[in-house]
Amino acid sequence: MRMLARHILDKLFTCLAGLSVVLMAAALVVILGPIVWRGAGAMLFRGTVEFRRMQLGEFHRGDTGALAAETARTDVARAKMYAALDAFSEGIRVDRLQEQAKDACRLLDAQLQNRQDTGRLSTGEARKLNRAARDLRNRLMEAFEATDKAQALQALQDVQDSPDAAALAGTAAETLVPLARRYRKIVEEVDLADRPKYAAELEKVSELVVKLFGPRAKDSVADLAQFRYGATRWDRALALQEQILWTDTWVSPGAGRALRQVRAPRAAMLPGPEMAEFFRTVRDDLPAMLQPRATFYWQYLTDNSTTGHFFGGVGPEALGTLLLTVLAMLLAVPVGVTTAAYLVECTRESHLLRVLRTCINTLAGVPSIVFGLFGLAFFVLWLLPKFGVRGVSVLAGSLTLGVLVLPVVIRASEEAIRAVPMSYKEASLALGAGGLRTFVTVTLPAALPGILTGVILAMSRAAGETAPILFTAAVAVGPWPGSPFKPCRTLSYGALDLATGDRIAPEVPHNQFGMILVLVLLVLALNVTAIVIRSRLSRKLRGG
Amino acid sequence: MSTDVRQPVKSPTTAAADFDRPLLLTPGEDLAGWALRKLGGALLTCVALTCVLAVLFIFVFIIKEAMPLLTSGHGWELLTSMKWYPTAEPPVFGALAVIAGSAYVTIGSLIVAVPIGLLAAAFLSDIVPFGVRQVTKPIIELLAAIPSVAYGFFAVLVLAPWMQRTWGLSTGTNALNASIILAVMAIPTIVSISEDALSAVGRDLREGAYALGSTRAETLVKVVIPAAGSGILAAVILGMMRAVGETMVVWMASGNAGQVPCPWWDLGQSVRTLTATIAGEMGEAPDGSIHRHALFALGLVLLAITFGMNIASEALLARARRRSRGGKPK
Repeated sequence: MRMLARHILDKLFTCLAGLSVVLMAAALVVILGPIVWRGAGAMLFRGTVEFRRMQLGEFHRGDTGALAAETARTDVARAKMYAALDAFSEGIRVDRLQEQAKDACRLLDAQLQNRQDTGRLSTGEARKLNRAARDLRNRLMEAFEATDKAQALQALQDVQDSPDAAALAGTAAETLVPLARRYRKIVEEVDLADRPKYAAELEKVSELVVKLFGPRAKDSVADLAQFRYGATRWDRALALQEQILWTDTWVSPGAGRALRQVRAPRAAMLPGPEMAEFFRTVRDDLPAMLQPRATFYWQYLTDNSTTGHFFGGVGPEALGTLLLTVLAMLLAVPVGVTTAAYLVECTRESHLLRVLRTCINTLAGVPSIVFGLFGLAFFVLWLLPKFGVRGVSVLAGSLTLGVLVLPVVIRASEEAIRAVPMSYKEASLALGAGGLRTFVTVTLPAALPGILTGVILAMSRAAGETAPILFTAAVAVGPWPGSPFKPCRTLSYGALDLATGDRIAPEVPHNQFGMILVLVLLVLALNVTAIVIRSRLSRKLRGG
Repeated sequence: MSTDVRQPVKSPTTAAADFDRPLLLTPGEDLAGWALRKLGGALLTCVALTCVLAVLFIFVFIIKEAMPLLTSGHGWELLTSMKWYPTAEPPVFGALAVIAGSAYVTIGSLIVAVPIGLLAAAFLSDIVPFGVRQVTKPIIELLAAIPSVAYGFFAVLVLAPWMQRTWGLSTGTNALNASIILAVMAIPTIVSISEDALSAVGRDLREGAYALGSTRAETLVKVVIPAAGSGILAAVILGMMRAVGETMVVWMASGNAGQVPCPWWDLGQSVRTLTATIAGEMGEAPDGSIHRHALFALGLVLLAITFGMNIASEALLARARRRSRGGKPK
C-alpha cells in the first residue's frame, strides 16, 4: 500500500513538472497570440474605398483614374442613403428649417432692393410684398416651433391657403409654400413632442455616418487627417454599422439589482419610412457603398503616420529603433569583445579579474530604469553638453543602451573565445605568430559564430528596451529620425504611448497592436537567428 | 601563417635575416617590440576597465543626483514615511508605500514563478530525454527575449480588460495583473539557472538515492534539490531581481496608486512601485528640482536593493560551484 502511494506521488510529480513546462509554452502562446493575430490586422485587412482615398490623399499612392471611377460607383450607392437621411433630418432639425425660411426672406429682400434700384418696382409694392412674405414666414416659424400637431397643421394650412402666395410667385419667397407642404407631410408622420429626442438621436447617427462614410463633398475639409476619410477598414466599417443599427441601453431588471445592458435596434427610436429606408440601406448596401477589397498594406513598415497614429505606419519608429540599436552596438561590440579577449587571454592577476567579473555581474544586474537615470545624469546632463549636444538625443540613448548590453556581449564572447580549442592557438604560436596575431587571425575567426550569437542577442535586447531611453532618447511625436544629435521615435516607446498615453489610440486597435507586433517580430527574428547559429555551431563542435 | 605560405618570398636576404633572428628576444634586444607589447597590453586593460568605469559612474552619478535630497532633511523621511507628495507645499518624500508596492508585486510574482520554475527545471534536468530538452530550450529563450514593453502591452490591453470582465474587479490594472506578468518574465531566469544547478549535482548522489530505493520524485525532492540548494536560491534571487527592477510592466499594469492594499492580502488593488514612480514622474520633475533629486534617491534605493541581491546571488553561486567541485561547504 505504501509502495503504491509512493508510486502515485512519483507519477504526480512527473505530471506536475510536465504541466509546468506546458504552462510555459501556453504562456508564450497566450501572450504572443493576440499580439500577432491582432497586429497582423495592421497589414492584412479588407481595405475600403476610403482606404484607397486616404492612400492617395495622404501618401500619393494609387491610381487616380481608377479611384475616381470607384468613387463614382460608391457615390451612386450612397446617394439613396444620404437622400433618405436628408429627407428625415429636414423635418427634425427645426433650426435648419428655420434657417431655410429666413434665407428665403433674406434673398427676397435683396431681390426687391435690386428691382427697386433698377426701377422695375415701386416702393409701395415692394413694401407690400415684403410684408406678405414676412407674414408667411412668421406663420411658418410658428408651425416649426409648435409641439402640438393640430396647431402646427393649422399654421401650415394658413400658409398654403394664403392669398399672398400667388403674389409672391416668381420671387425668392416662393419656396416658402413648398417648404410648408413638405413639413406638413412630416408633421403627419412624426410625433412633434418627441422631436428633441429625435434630433439628439439623429445627431448621433449623423456623426456615425460621417465616421463610416467620411465627410460629404459639400462639407468643409477637416484639419486633421483622421476626419477627412471614413472607415478605411472593413472590420472598422462593420463595427460602425453595428453602432448605427443597434443601440445599447441600460435597463434595471428590478430594485436593488445591477443594471443590465440591452441591445435594441435604433430603428425603433427613429420612425418613419425615410429612416426605415436609411437603415435598410446601411444594413444591406454597405459593400456597395464601401467596396471592400483584400489589401496587403506592407508600406505599414515604412510609412509615416498621421496625427495620433490614426492612419499610416510605423516607418519613423522602426528607423529610430534601428538607428539606436546599431549605434549602441558600435559601442558595445568593440569594447565587449576586447574585454572578453582580455578576460580569456591576457590577465593572470586574480585580483583584477575578480574585480572585473564582479563589475560585469553588477552591470548585468542593474535595473534598466537605473540605466535610464544614469543616462540622464551622465550622458544627457553632464557629458554630451560638453560637446554641444543639449537635451535628449539618439546618441545619449544609444550610449546608455550600449552600456546596458555590454555584459551580454562580454559573456557570449568570453564563452565563444574560451570554446576555441587550445590546439588552434598552440599551432599558431608554434608557427611563430605573436599573441595578438594568433588572436586576430586564428582565435577570433574560430570564435566568430559564437560572438555573433551574443551580438545578435544583445541587439534584440537593445531594440526591445524602453526604460533606458525614456529620459535619454525617445519622443512620442517628432519628425523622421535623421541626426544622432536629435531625439527620435522608437517602436518600444511608441507602443507604450499607444497602449497608455494616447486618447485616440483605442479607436485604432490595429495600429496599437501593429506597432508592438513589429517590435516583437524584430526581436524574435533576431533571437531565432541567434538560436539557429548556435545550434549549427554546437553541431559543428560536436563534429557533425 | 597561411598568407605567408601562399606568397612567394620576395627577397631571399630578408628571409634569411628572419631565419637568423633568435626565437626569444629580451626587452634589451627588441625594445620596440617590447614597448609595443606593453602598450598594447595597457590599452587592452584600459578597454577592459570600461565595465569597471561604467559601474563606478553609475554609482557616482546616481548618488551625486540623489545627494541634494538626502542632505536636505528629507533623507530620513524617505525610509520612514508612507506619504509621497512630491509636489505638495511643503513636499513629503516618503517612499515606504512604493517600496511596499515593489515588494507586493515581487513577492506575488515569486509565489507563482518559483514553483513553476523549479518544477520545470527538475523536468528538464531529470525527467525528459535530451531531445525534448533541446525543443524546450527555445521556448524559455523566447519567453526571456520578448521585450518588457510587449509584456506590459499585453497586460494592459489584453489581461486587464479580461480580469475586469471575468473576475468583476474594480480595475484590471492591479497588483495581481503585474504579479502574473512578472512571474512569466522571471520564470526563464529561474528555470535556466536552477536547471544548471540541478545538473551540476553529480550522478553519484542520484544513483546513491536510487540504490536506496527512492522513487524519482523522492530523489529530486529529498536529495538533488537540497544538494543544489544554493544554486536554486541564487536562481530565485536573480528572478526576483528581474521582477524588482522591471519597469514597463509594472508601470503599465499595476495601476500606479501609491497605497498599501487594505486588507493587506488583497492583490486586486492597485499599487505603485519604485520603478514605476521613477518612470512616471521623471517627465514632470523639472531639472534641478527637489522632486527630481527625490526620484534619483528612489533610483539609489533600487540600485542598493539590486546590488545587495547581486552580491548575495554571486556568493551563493560561488558556493554552489565549490560544492559541485567536491569542496566542503564552509
